[in-house]
Amino acid sequence: MKQPAKLQRAVALAAVAALAASLGACGQSKDDGDKGGGGPSGAAHADTGISVAIQEPDHLTPGNHYSSYEILIAVFSPLTILNDQEELEFLQAESVDSEDAITWTIKLRDGWTFHNGEPVTAQSYVDAWNHTAYGPNAWVNSGQLRNVVGYDQTHPVEGEPTATELAGLKVVDDLTFTVELVGADRQFPFQLSDGQTGLYPMPQAAYEDLDAFDKLPIGNGPFKMAKAWESGQDVVVEAYADYAGPAPTISQINFRTYIDTDTAYTDALAGEVDIAAVAGAKVAIAAQDFGERLHSLDAPGVDFLGFNPADERFSDVRVRQAFSMAIDRAAINEAIYSGAQIPSTSLTASTMPGSPEGVCGKYCEFDPAAAKSLLEEAGGVEGAVEILFPGGWGLEDVFEAYANQLRQNLEIDVTALPATDWAEFTDKIATGDYHINRGRWGALYPSQQDTLHSLYTAAGDGNFATGGYSNPQVDALLAAADAAPTLEDSFEGYRAVQEAILADFPVIPTFGNRYLYVTSDRIADLHSAAGSVRFAYVELAG
Amino acid sequence: MLDAQIPEPAGAPEPAGAARLTARRRAVRRWSFAAPAAALAALVACSIFPAFFAGLFGHGDPRDCDLHLSAEGPAPGHPFGFDVQGCDVWANVVFGARSSIVVGLMATLIAVAIAVALGTWAGFYGGWADQVVSRLTEVFLGFPFLLGAIVVLNSVGQRSPWAVSAVLGVFGWPTMARLVRGSVRSVRGLDYVVAATTMGLSGRRIILRHVLPNALTPVLILATISIGAVIVAESSLTYLGVGLQPPAISWGLQIAAGSRHFQTAPHILIWPSLFLAVTVLAVIMIGEALRTALDPKRAA
Repeated sequence: MKQPAKLQRAVALAAVAALAASLGACGQSKDDGDKGGGGPSGAAHADTGISVAIQEPDHLTPGNHYSSYEILIAVFSPLTILNDQEELEFLQAESVDSEDAITWTIKLRDGWTFHNGEPVTAQSYVDAWNHTAYGPNAWVNSGQLRNVVGYDQTHPVEGEPTATELAGLKVVDDLTFTVELVGADRQFPFQLSDGQTGLYPMPQAAYEDLDAFDKLPIGNGPFKMAKAWESGQDVVVEAYADYAGPAPTISQINFRTYIDTDTAYTDALAGEVDIAAVAGAKVAIAAQDFGERLHSLDAPGVDFLGFNPADERFSDVRVRQAFSMAIDRAAINEAIYSGAQIPSTSLTASTMPGSPEGVCGKYCEFDPAAAKSLLEEAGGVEGAVEILFPGGWGLEDVFEAYANQLRQNLEIDVTALPATDWAEFTDKIATGDYHINRGRWGALYPSQQDTLHSLYTAAGDGNFATGGYSNPQVDALLAAADAAPTLEDSFEGYRAVQEAILADFPVIPTFGNRYLYVTSDRIADLHSAAGSVRFAYVELAG
Repeated sequence: MLDAQIPEPAGAPEPAGAARLTARRRAVRRWSFAAPAAALAALVACSIFPAFFAGLFGHGDPRDCDLHLSAEGPAPGHPFGFDVQGCDVWANVVFGARSSIVVGLMATLIAVAIAVALGTWAGFYGGWADQVVSRLTEVFLGFPFLLGAIVVLNSVGQRSPWAVSAVLGVFGWPTMARLVRGSVRSVRGLDYVVAATTMGLSGRRIILRHVLPNALTPVLILATISIGAVIVAESSLTYLGVGLQPPAISWGLQIAAGSRHFQTAPHILIWPSLFLAVTVLAVIMIGEALRTALDPKRAA
């Protein structure tokens, strides 16, 4: 049981990273009308449809996918969602309330239907969540429910499940259900937002044939599948006429699958797709090719460097701090990313609500002289130091820059070491065969909670990337912050958490992410929130 | 050194055409040999004393980088400008010559060693030895060179110049082995070998004293040309991410890095590519010149 769990984590992180690289989607619509036979409605589609470049989806069941987010957010609507002012709004939910932050009452909006006409009810949610959380189903997003009472029975770490349903879920009436959490959590409404697809609803019709549902999901979102997904073909979704939420601005989206982002980029340049994601390293070229049609969106992801906990050379906190101070984040941002990323001054992305910017203080500021004397004070570092990163993802330049700066500013032997692929990268970390590792976390929902829990607690999915960091004091502060009575109080709480973690300085915070998209001239504006494009509400030119 | 490899073929029996032939050879030497030989000599010098040549203009340290100079053009002391990391391109190109030339020579030496051993064995003894070696050669030839190298290098942990040379050598010998086998077979039937055999000399002695010296010329020509092919292969593999790894300094790595920024800073790609092209061209031209000089049929 341990091994698969570890593997899943690694894959999950890979998926998050891949998501970051590929979140862009390209839309294309130029000749849908012709394909459709040229009828009047076909022509209308051609005018208001877009095409979006994506990577091949893996599954279209929301509780069981790694890489299909773009399609799922079109076909399903979450309970809550971030608006473009980065504030949380209710979408399918009418309200999400709790007195004690332990028992939450979720009321649904009336009149919403799935694409087959079935009404969206409290039962649609409870059944879907139970199915996702049931261990033997092995749905990959089950962990999103781990704070619900009863998860340890439906999805025990070891052995057979002793329950098929989450004890913490109760249907009150058609449009109301309650969720009881294991620990108080004021951030729960954020967890119900679009990134956590494991909390989407499913219609009763889905359970009749789950395999068919996986190819042709029936959702409650603004778009319905035009036909079942076939591997290697475009996934086409059309506006759902009876959608009860805000009406989409476009009539159709063609999700076109690409094996690599370079091909998608070339197609976007040729106007073959309307929206495509761009790898961070290509930003300078993209700015030249696309000018104002290059969009950089503040994203909830952070980059950092972790240390091998078994390597004694890094056990002194001053060594880790010295390394951090020897990296000129601003110069790297300018030279490698053309200024598109955000130098870190905290452990969370600067756009994360309440992120305590500057909490890292002088240790995240470039000061080579202080770095050198701090390192000497700590006794220096002997021998070669390698920074391990996954090769082939366009990270070569930035890691070579880290290595150059550490080597020159600290006068120690530092090199950047690319792993052949992701598997070798995670394998080397799992077996402790590394010195310093590349780390990244893309938060699934816009709360510091996700990043801090995932990276800096022993149970977190990304804990291996921080050298297995955990600290009982941090755990206690996190629990207190999660249970804070108001959002503002929780921000104060998370600041205290970050201060406590940074006192131990387990990682070198490097950059907050921006996701980059290029668009064709058919797109006037990307409608985005938290780094993701809301494809349904893209503004078309003309 | 290279001149020493072109002994006048002993007893070229063409007194009538000798004058014409000599003139022709002189022309060959003047242009198609002397020019590439000079270029190659310069590159070999670079690879032996990189620090001296790199320092001709400026600080000459390939690892002294300043991100604030990222992708800048030529500046005083830095005739080729700077790469994305702000390192001096001239210094990196000069230091890169060593990897390419070392890998080219090492891999070819390994390939020649295997080819001579197996080819001689098969050609001299024939029979089942010949069968085994010929089949083995066919198996290796049937396996695409680049694919084989990619597969093997992907499973090698640390890809040092030695590891890359070894892999390229192991996949590079079959054609040469066939050539050795063929020329050993033709020499084996000649009178002086038959004479040596009837005198009761040992097989080893015959091979070393009589067969090899007279059978090696064609394989040496092919080996010279293949140095160029190996250098290209090393750069290709490195470009694909399965050849040399940083912190090695190599043209393949520089080309890979430069290609990512070709649109915004083409000079980062152009200089190492130019050096690579000149090196390969020089080696191949020398090989051709050797062939012309040593092959009586071509000279005629």
